[in-house]
Formats: sequence, C-alpha cells, structure tokens
Amino acid sequence: MPQFSRRKFLLSTGWVAGGVTALYALRNKAVAVAPTIIFPDAESGAAWIQIKANGTCHMFFPRVDMGQNANTGLAQIVAEELNVEVEDIDAARPSTSDVPPLAVTAGSMSLTAYSRPIAIAAATLRETMRERAASKLGLPLADILDDIGGFRAAEGPRLSYAELVDNTSSMVEFDGNRPAPLLYTFDAQRDKRQVGRAVKPLGIRDLVTGAPVYTADIPVAGILYGRAIQPPVRNARISSLETGDVANVAGFIQLVREDEFVGVVCKTPGAVDAAMTQIKVTWDLQQPIAQEEIDRLVDVDAAMAKGDLEHILQDEAHRKDIDWDIDLRFDVQVQSHAAQEPRAAIARFDQFSRLEIWTGTQDPFGMKRFAAMDTGLSEDAVVVYPQRLGGGFGGREHYEVERDAVRLARAVKQPVKVQWTRKDEFTASRSRPASAHRLRIAVDEVGNLSDWWYGYISGHVVFARERLPGWLLPVARLADDMGVVKGAISPYGAPHQRVEYNDVDLPIDLGVWRSLNGAPAIFAIESAMDELAVRQGIDAVDFKIAQMHSAHPRLQNCLERVRALSALKALPEGAGYGRGFASGIYDGRCYVAISADVYVDAQAKQIKILHMCCAQDVGMAVNPGQLRAQVESNLVWSIGMALLERFEVADNAIRSSNFDNYKIPRMDDMPSLDIEIIDQPTMPPTGAGEVALVAGPAAIANAIRRASGFRALRLPISFADITANSAE
Amino acid sequence: MKLKVNGVEREVEADWRDESLLTVLREHLDLPGTRFSCGIGQCGTCVVHINGAPISSCLVPIKDVAGKDILTIEGLVAQDGSLHPLQQAWIDESVPQCGYCQSGQIMQALALLKENTNPNDADIDNAMKGNLCRCGTYDRIRKSIKRAAIVMGQVR
Ligand code: FES
Ligand code: FES
Repeated sequence: MPQFSRRKFLLSTGWVAGGVTALYALRNKAVAVAPTIIFPDAESGAAWIQIKANGTCHMFFPRVDMGQNANTGLAQIVAEELNVEVEDIDAARPSTSDVPPLAVTAGSMSLTAYSRPIAIAAATLRETMRERAASKLGLPLADILDDIGGFRAAEGPRLSYAELVDNTSSMVEFDGNRPAPLLYTFDAQRDKRQVGRAVKPLGIRDLVTGAPVYTADIPVAGILYGRAIQPPVRNARISSLETGDVANVAGFIQLVREDEFVGVVCKTPGAVDAAMTQIKVTWDLQQPIAQEEIDRLVDVDAAMAKGDLEHILQDEAHRKDIDWDIDLRFDVQVQSHAAQEPRAAIARFDQFSRLEIWTGTQDPFGMKRFAAMDTGLSEDAVVVYPQRLGGGFGGREHYEVERDAVRLARAVKQPVKVQWTRKDEFTASRSRPASAHRLRIAVDEVGNLSDWWYGYISGHVVFARERLPGWLLPVARLADDMGVVKGAISPYGAPHQRVEYNDVDLPIDLGVWRSLNGAPAIFAIESAMDELAVRQGIDAVDFKIAQMHSAHPRLQNCLERVRALSALKALPEGAGYGRGFASGIYDGRCYVAISADVYVDAQAKQIKILHMCCAQDVGMAVNPGQLRAQVESNLVWSIGMALLERFEVADNAIRSSNFDNYKIPRMDDMPSLDIEIIDQPTMPPTGAGEVALVAGPAAIANAIRRASGFRALRLPISFADITANSAE
Repeated sequence: MKLKVNGVEREVEADWRDESLLTVLREHLDLPGTRFSCGIGQCGTCVVHINGAPISSCLVPIKDVAGKDILTIEGLVAQDGSLHPLQQAWIDESVPQCGYCQSGQIMQALALLKENTNPNDADIDNAMKGNLCRCGTYDRIRKSIKRAAIVMGQVR
C-alpha cells in the first residue's frame, strides 16, 4: 500500500490515533473458494498491531472465535515478540467497520497462515521502539536490551513502551527493503516466555460465568422474535402454503413471504413456536430425498465399471486386470455438524436505513456483502458485529440465519432476533456428504505394495449446489473440489498407482464439515492397509511404516510414538478386546497417528471404546494446552463418526431432527485418553482443528477387526453389524 | 407472578407467562447465561436448579415455578466477584472450547457434588451423560469435577 494512503485508510477503520502502529497484510489464499469469494485486493487483509499512546499493546483478532481459540495463540506470538504478557495485550474482536475485509475462518489455517506475518509485524514494531529508545538515551542500538514491556540500557535506565510514545501517530511497515527483524517466535535458541506456554483461552472467565458472549445473548432494545421456514433442500419450491390460524396466535405480529421465503415475527419466542405450528408448506423437489437415491448416486462400483472416473489425481503405470490382494468398498454416511449452539442472528435497521447485524459466523465480511446484496443497501450501510460461535466445524459460512433476521426486521421495521431450532440445524446446516470408496491393492512377492487403485465418489463439498452462484457451478466443477480431494492421496508408495474420483449432486444440501473428505478417505485407506496387514499376518504399524519407504518421516514418527504411548497401558486379555492403529496426513501439512482399544461386549451387545492414544506433530506448539484440547475434540468426533452418528432421510425429508434421533458422543462414551503433542520448534505451526479426526475412525474400526474379526465397511458401525457378519 | 432467581425476587410480566423458564430467564429477566440448544430435554445445555434440583429449563413452563427458588449460572459468582470452586476448576483445567454447553455442565456438576462429595468415574458418567458437549470437552469436565470435589471438601 502506498505510504500516502495509509493514514486515510486507517481513518476509515476502528483505528485510534497515537503511538506507533505496525501495518501488515493477512492473505489467506488457501480459502480462495470461500462462499463469498473475497479476492484480496490491496487493502483487504490489512491489519495492524499498535503500541497506543498510553503504552499498551493493541491488536484486532483476525479470526472468529468458535472454540479453537486460535486468537489466543496469535496473541501469544505478539506477546513473545514485544516482551509483554499475553494477558496484558488489549485485544478486540473487530466489527466489519473496524478493519478491512478479513478472510473466512476455516481450514485449520489460522496459525499456519498468520503466525509469520504477525510475528514480523510485532518484531518490526519492537525494533522501531528500540530505535526510539536508542535515540532518546543517546546510545547505540546495540546497547538497548529487551526488558519486560520495554527496554533497558546496558548500564542505566529502564524505558517502558509508554515512555517512548505520545499522541502523535507514526506508522511502520516491514517493507522487505531492510533485513527482517529477528523473530523471537521462530528462534530455536531462545528461551521463550509466551510461545509454547499453555495460556488459557482469553476470555475464559466469561465462559464459566454465563457472560453474554453468543449472538442470542446480546440485549437489543425493542427486540422482536422471528423465524423462517427452512426448506428440506434449498432448491425446493413452495407448492402450497397454508397459514392456518396464525393471525390469532397470541403475540403474533406479522407473516412475511417473499418468493420461497416464509417467516413470522412475534412478541415472544413461545409465540413464534405457536405461530410456526399453524404454517404448513408442501414442497416441490427436484430430486427425491431418499437413502436409496443417495446410495445410487455414490455407487462407486457402478461408475468404475463404466470406465474412468471424471477426475484423476494420480496415474502411474496403472494396471487394471491383476489379482488384487485387497478389493474392498467402504461407505461413509452423511454427517451433521450438530454444533451445540443453534445459529442465531439479530438484525436492526436504524432510521437512516443503515443495517446492523449481530451474528456468530465464520465469515463476517461475507455476511456484510450478502446482506448488502439482499437488501439493495450499499456495503457501507451494513455493519456486522461478529459474536463468539457456539461451535462452527465448517457449518457457519453462509448468509442464512442472517438473511432470516434481516428480511423479518425489514418487514416489521423493528429489530428481530432469530435463532434456528435444533430441527432447522439438522435440516439446513449443509451436512458432510455421503461417499463410497473402492480400494484395490496388490503386493509383490516380498509383500511390498505393487499396485494401488483407489476410486471414490463423494457428494460435492466446496462446489456443492447453493454454495456458489448457479452460473459459476458448472465452471467451478471442471476443477478439483478441494474438499472432495482432501485425504485421497495415500502416504504409501507403489510403482503402479491410480487415484480417481467423481463428485456428484446429492438430494440434500451439502457443504464443509470438519476435515472435509479427509476423514472419509483416510478411513477407507487406513482400513484397507490394516486389512492387508491382517491377511498377511504382519504387524500393521511396521507394515505401514515400511510402505512409506523413506517418505513422510514426521508421519512415521507419529506412528512410532503412538505405538510407544499405547504400550503404556496393557490391553485386557480375553475374547472381545482389540487394539487398532491408524495414521494420516491432513492437507499435506498435519501429521497424526492414533490407537484405539475396544471391547466388543457380546453379553451387553455393545462396542465400548476403552482407551485412545494420539501422537500429533503440530510443528511449533504455540499453545500446547489448546492443541491438546483440539486433539481431544477430534478424538470425541472420531467416536461419533465411527459408532454413533447416523443421519436419516426418508419420505422426502430429513428425519434426523434432534439429539434423540441423532446420537453424538456423551460422557459415558468416553475412553481414557493419552495424548502426545510433538513439538517441532523450528517448523511452522500446522494447525490442529480438524486433524486427528482423519485417523480416529479407522483406528476404532481396526480395533474392532482385532477384537471380533469383523471388518467394518460402512460407518457408523453398530453391534448388530458385527453379529450379522458372523452369522453369514 | 413472582419467582426467586439467584436469591432475588423477580416479577414475570403478563406477556411472558406462557413461555418456558429458559425463555423467561434469557429474554425477560436478562439472565442469558443459561442457553438453548435442543429444546426437548436431550442435551442439558439449559440446566438450572429449581428448589435445589437440576432441571432442563427448556421443558419447564414458567407457570409451574411460580414462587420457587431458581439458581442459574449467574448466581454461582459470589457478591465480591469470586468464583465458585467448580467455575475455578473449569478455568484451571481450561475446559471450555466454544463454551456454549458449559453453563449447563457446571450446574449439573454442582448437583452431583451436592449429592456425592467424592464421585468416581462411574458416578460422573451417570450424572453427566445427559449433558452434551459437541466440542468434546468431557475429559476435562471429568477432571474438573474431581478437582472441585477436593477443593470443596477442604472448604467444608
Ligand atoms: S435445551 Fe434444554 S435440554 Fe437441551
Ligand atoms: S464447549 Fe463447545 S459444546 Fe461444550
């Protein structure tokens, strides 16, 4: 950005004059196909760290909080560079008026993409302050030493940051024209004070005292309550609408209909519930919503029998007609985000038709743009105040509950709060697609992999219908769907390899779900490799490590570490007990290996997970405590995916509607856990938000194989599957 | 209509008398720390104590609690701002991820520790299995309950 426009640019934001401001840029290219398709221009992604006129350090958090607490890690980096305590940083969650556009929070990218630019900006700021200290004391730069919250002279006084700033503003930017400042964060020699410490999530007190931090908690004067009908699928059209006796519901204010949008506004939430029972919509569907239809669309065998699949990811000396040692098909069902917080939004128009929106979204700037398009307002007239999310997991990227609130608030000319019901969440959260995976593997005479042929079909992920504008979809779909390709390339070597896939439209709405296709694909790959080891009568961990040859040393290390970790606790002896292993690489940068101990209890007719271990290489461990928390979370999700979560559709509707008919893990499903975070202080942080989930389900399935002889070919696995299999 | 919430007498106005206890707490009495998640008693997110017993407030019509004593998460913090040992244990173990379920978890754990000052794993499973946490913080919840049990035992 040219020098002259900096000041002007900052004045249009929430920046406060005074002190020294270090500007930097945050570009997150890895998510260029975010729903809003914000392509960074010169100013977007611009951010800053400031030593304010009173000497405090201020930063805006570039990420939304949804449980991963990535901002705490980023604040630790700033604190390390500036020699302050992380708790002393004055950090704020920006509204869309406070900062230029930031990218959507997704893809476990926060620390991977942002740690270095943030470290450079903070270090540049520190060195600028050091220059000030040197000139103030009339000493050479080399004599100005670091001190907590400022500097000290080698012999002589201490200078805090506050003594080096005043009300005049100055700006610095690392421009590449001078040598980069030393980055303390990445300095392997340094005894770090902030980075590497298990800092508690900033704001944790609010989370245990019931402070208002989620959207629906925000008090807004004169609020009314609304709800819109969520169609079973977004391309459905209303064929008939009956509104019954809605006008006579106590507290009813207005019914709003715009094309396919139908909603009500009432005085209280209970009145909304009552009003909604009066409204009956029948829908015209373009495709029947039925499990058989989903199964037909992802039938990978039928597609492979017809010839090549549409997208080929790997093709080396492929051989078709050989004797396969493994020829198995794995099916993974639809799964829901089921975040604990049903999404909510509040919309308010002021008397100048400016629009304010409070919402927990992964993409605040996307909401601003879409709200402007939806209402015909200019983008300048829309402000989004992002709130903490009660769970995201990929399901909070779209202008939807925000749309509901905006349209209803506009219709009644009063502020309106909308919170989806649990049923709305299951119907409309854009689930993880179903997928089917055919794995064919052959080994040579010494037992090394010779041939690898992996074909699969998945519903679309980032190119799912209703995620991009209709005109863009056919073009986009010529390219690889980066959600569907996740996890497809195995870490194992074979001279003859082919990996191919189709992505298809399913009759339900689909989207981004934790790890994308990573967990389904790696479940299939790791199950197939395990089965091959079983059939050869060899140790699965040794076999997998050997088949990586010299590639992926970090993954091999994870497997060795988890083997050692699991050996600390003996598997109980006797029938029904088994231990399984699996490993995986998420997004080419995150390495994980997991073991699971299970008990297949024939008497109680249940599968019980007793113990799980995980070794995860996280690159530099900025906050080991939060990394461990993310691993725990992924292990719990692995249990849900392997054993519990069963998404049901029938009779042209989504039948999963609440936690009574869609089971997620509970306290009594929990095994004991043993987790090792492998810290690589000289490597960039890898991210952890959706990593361990890629290996967990296969570790569980492989343990069940050892415990019962049953090879799970379909998730989720129930006890009945095991008995049905042994009866065959 | 009146009820006592966190020791304070509160009036429920006419417009709100057909609502659930959860809705009244959140929307009418400015106590949004108790949260909605399933609405059918399946997740425990909305747990409060009614006359000392833990109950899913989404299922309770406000009419049924007239005159009763309600304790919510906001009522656990002492007048001087100091935290209840359970809240402190939750911080010490860094339990919350997204945090949305945690008010209900803490209120449920409080009920457990009132009945059982030294719960084992099976007791915790039993008492806490109705409280969902999609972020999967169960392991830390278990540890925090044990930690709080020790602290509360010493105080007692
Ligand atoms: S919201 Fe009351 S039990 Fe789930
Ligand atoms: S911390 Fe997110 S649901 Fe429990």
